[in-house]
Amino acid sequence: MAETLRRVLNLGSAAGPGEENTAEAEPPLLLLGGHGSGKTALLFAAALEAAGEGRGPVLFLTRRPLQRLPRGIGAALEPLRLQKIRFQYPPSTCELLRLLCSAHETRGPAPSLLLLDGLEEYLAEDPGSQEAAYLAALLLDTAAHFSHRAGSGRGCGLIVALQTQEEGDSATALQLALLQRYFPAQCWLQPDAPGPGQHCLRACLEPGGLGARAEWRVTFRQDGEMTVTPWPTQAGDTSLHKGSSSGGQP
Amino acid sequence: MAVAARALMLPAVVEELLSEMAAAARDGAPIPDEHLLSLKFVFGSSAVQALDLVDRQSVTLISSPSGRRVYQVLGSSGRTYVCLASCHYCSCPAFAFSVLRKGDSLLCKHLLAVYLSQVMRTCQQLSVSDKQLTDVLLMEKTQEAS
Repeated sequence: MAETLRRVLNLGSAAGPGEENTAEAEPPLLLLGGHGSGKTALLFAAALEAAGEGRGPVLFLTRRPLQRLPRGIGAALEPLRLQKIRFQYPPSTCELLRLLCSAHETRGPAPSLLLLDGLEEYLAEDPGSQEAAYLAALLLDTAAHFSHRAGSGRGCGLIVALQTQEEGDSATALQLALLQRYFPAQCWLQPDAPGPGQHCLRACLEPGGLGARAEWRVTFRQDGEMTVTPWPTQAGDTSLHKGSSSGGQP
Repeated sequence: MAVAARALMLPAVVEELLSEMAAAARDGAPIPDEHLLSLKFVFGSSAVQALDLVDRQSVTLISSPSGRRVYQVLGSSGRTYVCLASCHYCSCPAFAFSVLRKGDSLLCKHLLAVYLSQVMRTCQQLSVSDKQLTDVLLMEKTQEAS
């Protein structure tokens, strides 16, 4: 959900309350970045944001239980919100597929947000294009089913995090292009020059033609707190696009 | 819902064509010639094969009490393929090859048959239990191997 992520990223920058967004039918979002680029932390922040909206539980899928709570935007880390996030840990691609295919069997309130961390680990088992497409399509189909179950006016968002390589080969580039067909909105995280005792990232959000591209600086301080500020726009600043070449054009 | 998902991956001109066809369709009425020509222009031989699949009632919409749905298409070889209802995916080898890998086709004939039967509002319907629907969705995995 590009809008949820945008709201999360705007939270840190003390921007105004922002327009009322009906969360319906927002495009699924692919969160991309190298190892340690803050994807899990951002996913978690999105989970807390959505949990706080009171529209339904959040389903967070990842291969391994989180070792510790990711660094978060402090105030949002309240127990009431945490309770609404349901973690599941499918240990293999097969289990993940089974989980998605049977998502309609469980009743109860439909999740308002579906998150998957570490897509690359699941794809590594079966790197073929049909397998990757099948997994991507099932993720979309599951979110679509949750949206349908939630009824009108409430969609279920989908954000998936994928770790990218510094030097990918043509196979990974192909796989990424394929995923971009299913996930028209993407957010790229890139490391930025660190300040003293800080870990900085540049986050570039491309909503797939449904909004303006926007950039933020995300800073993790040593105490784990995450702050977000809009990336200062400079004249002629067009450097970011090395990694996000093909799929992002609206 | 399918319309929004289709728009993510089909060019606007195809979307328009399908919408026009939907607007003009009446139950049981044949597709107007101009639409047939457009279909053949855009999709080539897949259009004829897809129309054939529709005529032969090869497209089935499977749904369960949960409200989740999926399509199953009986291919010309006698094998059934599974097409998702909410986004572009078909379990057939042509989809994996021509659409995903080579990128020179927009759709395989099964997906096109699904969209055409949506537009023409003719489709076999099948109700199954939630568990059976899970199996249909999972069946993909076993079909890929051969």
